[in-house]
Amino acid sequence: MKKKMPYVAVATLSVIILATLLADVIAPYDPGYMDLSAISTSPGKDHVLGTDTMGRDLFSAILYGGRISLVIGIAATGISTLIAILYGTIAGLAPAALDDVLMRFTEIIMSIPSILLVIFIQAAIGDATVFSIIIVIGATAWPSVAKIVRNEVKQIRNRSYVLAAKAMGGSFFYILRKHLMPGFMSTIMFMIVSNIGSAIMTEATLSFLGLGLPLDELSWGSLLSISQRAILSGAWWILLIPGTVLTVTLICIMDVGEYLRVNNKRGAVIARNGFMKRRII
Amino acid sequence: MDKSTRIYIGKKLLQFVISMIVLILVVFVVSRLAPGDPLRAYYGEAVERMSPEQLAHAEHRLGLDQSLAVQFFDWLGQVFQGDFGISFQYKRSVMDVIGDVAGNTAVLALVSFIIISLCSLALAIFCVRREGKTVDRVICKLGVMTGSVPEFFMAMIFIMVFSVILGILPQSGAVSVGGGGFLDRAVHLILPVAAISVSHIWYCTYLMRSRLSDEMSKDYVLLCMAKGLSEKQTVYRHCVRNITPSVVGIMAVFLPHLLAGAYVVEVVFSYPGMGKLAVESAQYHDYNLLMMVCIITGATVITVNIIADIIRRQMDPELKQERGQLL
Repeated sequence: MKKKMPYVAVATLSVIILATLLADVIAPYDPGYMDLSAISTSPGKDHVLGTDTMGRDLFSAILYGGRISLVIGIAATGISTLIAILYGTIAGLAPAALDDVLMRFTEIIMSIPSILLVIFIQAAIGDATVFSIIIVIGATAWPSVAKIVRNEVKQIRNRSYVLAAKAMGGSFFYILRKHLMPGFMSTIMFMIVSNIGSAIMTEATLSFLGLGLPLDELSWGSLLSISQRAILSGAWWILLIPGTVLTVTLICIMDVGEYLRVNNKRGAVIARNGFMKRRII
Repeated sequence: MDKSTRIYIGKKLLQFVISMIVLILVVFVVSRLAPGDPLRAYYGEAVERMSPEQLAHAEHRLGLDQSLAVQFFDWLGQVFQGDFGISFQYKRSVMDVIGDVAGNTAVLALVSFIIISLCSLALAIFCVRREGKTVDRVICKLGVMTGSVPEFFMAMIFIMVFSVILGILPQSGAVSVGGGGFLDRAVHLILPVAAISVSHIWYCTYLMRSRLSDEMSKDYVLLCMAKGLSEKQTVYRHCVRNITPSVVGIMAVFLPHLLAGAYVVEVVFSYPGMGKLAVESAQYHDYNLLMMVCIITGATVITVNIIADIIRRQMDPELKQERGQLL
């Protein structure tokens, strides 16, 4: 079953990304400015999406916060993908015994729930900053991708073109880049995309729990961390609006990931059909 | 029990011991990332008032002047003797502090686990029998959506709707003040369990649905239908029974996700459990406690996975033929 291109998701994501990039232009207020005369005002004329319990304009805060959330998601996934590719390739090329040990190690890492591991490492290295959160999430999100990379590498390691490159003295990184990566990149692409979503979610959870970014450092998570007290006083917008933006972003990312996953299995067939059609015409 | 089963279980036990040692090693190494802080973790603010001699003495007493390897084996020895250290925040033995709340988490996780297993299997069967139809497609879309909502947001929405607006369910704690009967506990469980179940049910349903869908396209299904069994009989009597080992596997893989969800939801509902403990100990830099929460969680997952492997092997004769992994 071929899945149609998720136009709605791509369009929504583009709007969100564009809006956060253009935050300087679009945002009506300074996101950090606390207007003490307008604490917890509901959405209205002055503040399109209302203000939070500290008197910050929610719309501006969401735009600037989204920037940080997206940067954390993308950068953390970059780091975890890099680790996963190296680890998975080494395991895939290694002799069976070492491969077993390496794979067993990933399973042990995965036996600790990722959010607990993130909390633990973040607590051990001290106060959270954007940089530290990127590193911590990147350092914990790689095992599942590494497993797939290892399986793929195991399948292509003995193909003649890889052996030929090796025989002619190609170095590890040369073979990885020229021969192995093109083989497995399309398979792990969907995981990379959905990992961006997971990383954004992890950051939001961490900040919501009060272990991530502090209140004055805006991200969707830190914005939501004050919502717990806000809803008790009936200020629903402080919870629902940033939460919905976060959730919609995550759903769109997952949708794109799902599209890549479903279409990948038949990728070769589709490509061949497309090629044939062109030839006939 | 035949000989090969005994050997298999023996291998699994060995694997368990090795996994536990590696798990403890990983947790130990991470905890030592703390920038020169184990002393502070142990003595708290008192560190700043210590003279250099006292500091050196304290370091020696805790073995911090030894190499990391020596420290690890000392600590491992203590752990095996049942001495897990003192919680700096509570000034009590770490195991006592965890023992107080572990039961709460176990109840929360177990109830959610049972609900999710049963519901997702039912939902998977329901979807597969209508595969490709509108109902199935709608459920799939809804599933992907609920699966993408962060647990804490889901929990907050539940609190807002059922506690703040409707006011029918308690919004925090495991028991009300002065209460504590079975009914009181059950009422406090409803919202946390619902939040965990709704955000995680799709993960299991999706995996079971695709496994069942593969099973339905096999030749024997056609044969069953040809000899006159109804679709319902075929699915329940043959397909579901055949995928049971996979279902056990899926639920075992799902456990860490469930625990992660339970920990986050506990914090939102101020439900006294391991998750709340973990977050609090992270806030107060209570490393001994946090280490133990990680180790116990990891140990639970490893144990359950090994038990699930053994059960699957007993259920599925095909798995007995396979050469097990080296370890």
